[in-house]
Amino acid sequence: MSDFLLTQVINYGAPLFALILFLGALGLPIGASVVLIAAGAFSEQGILAWLPTAALGLLGAVLGDALSFSIGFYAKDWINQRFGNSKAWQSAEASFDERAGLAIFLTRFLVTALAIPTNLIAGGSGIKFRRFMTYDSLGEMIWIILYGGLGYFFGSQWELVSTFLSNFGGVMLGLLILVSGIWLAVRKLRNEPASELLAKN
Amino acid sequence: MSSTKQKLSIIGLIVLGVLIVAFFGVRAVHAYRHIRDGGFGPGGHRPPPATETDVQLIRDWMTIPYIANTYGVPDRMLFKELKIPEENNREKSLKVLNDAYFPDQTGIVLEQVKQAITDHRPPAPPTAPSP
Repeated sequence: MSDFLLTQVINYGAPLFALILFLGALGLPIGASVVLIAAGAFSEQGILAWLPTAALGLLGAVLGDALSFSIGFYAKDWINQRFGNSKAWQSAEASFDERAGLAIFLTRFLVTALAIPTNLIAGGSGIKFRRFMTYDSLGEMIWIILYGGLGYFFGSQWELVSTFLSNFGGVMLGLLILVSGIWLAVRKLRNEPASELLAKN
Repeated sequence: MSSTKQKLSIIGLIVLGVLIVAFFGVRAVHAYRHIRDGGFGPGGHRPPPATETDVQLIRDWMTIPYIANTYGVPDRMLFKELKIPEENNREKSLKVLNDAYFPDQTGIVLEQVKQAITDHRPPAPPTAPSP
């Protein structure tokens, strides 16, 4: 899929690039990060003009995020009916609310695999759209500058950095899962003695 | 959720995290080494930003005009070498051209393009003898 899209970005330029980032932000597995790095390289080679490409790309990504936020927002009633009474869901929702800004911001460029679930949860959790868009736009801007910039720097050897970044994203995802597991383990160990004492009394 | 199930879930989460970090970590280190070997890492130098010379970087998703631009060769020369008409083929990738004109010879267009660019390249200037 990425190969086909790369050919089309060469042919149709920034508008198609923006459409790819839009579809990627909606969760379609089309390798948006790869296309972004390649677009940076195409800019360095004079195939694309970097400023309009970056601006249109940002617009596409932010619009896609806004739409996936809306999907979460309109699915809120269904989710509440289904999980609203669950304590685990209520607790997850409350802890997401506390760190929503950071989660939205970091999943744009650091743990991109979690960007779509974050958008859907944010939409359903009652976070204000303006707050979502602020963190989202900042994160997407960094994503475009960082990934596109690396593509620009590496030029025709952009595939080197693309491979590195996709694996680095996997490491970040693994670290997040690992830290969550350790955090849950620590919380359980702290709560267990207290609950054991309560059970004895 | 029972306490045993909770414990198993937490252990599962930690094990999964370790496995993912290990899997992608090894691949990331390999990729980083490639970057460093390419002269891009700390202490490395970036190749001059002139036209590309390494034909091994040509991929079959590229189009003839894109390759011509990147490698600083005339696109007409590439079409001529491939014996493929320029008309209606400028926006097609090497793979599409290969499937259309040489369906029985997988990868032949890619190889011919690499060869044509190598042949077209001016010979390297002689290196100065060391004192």
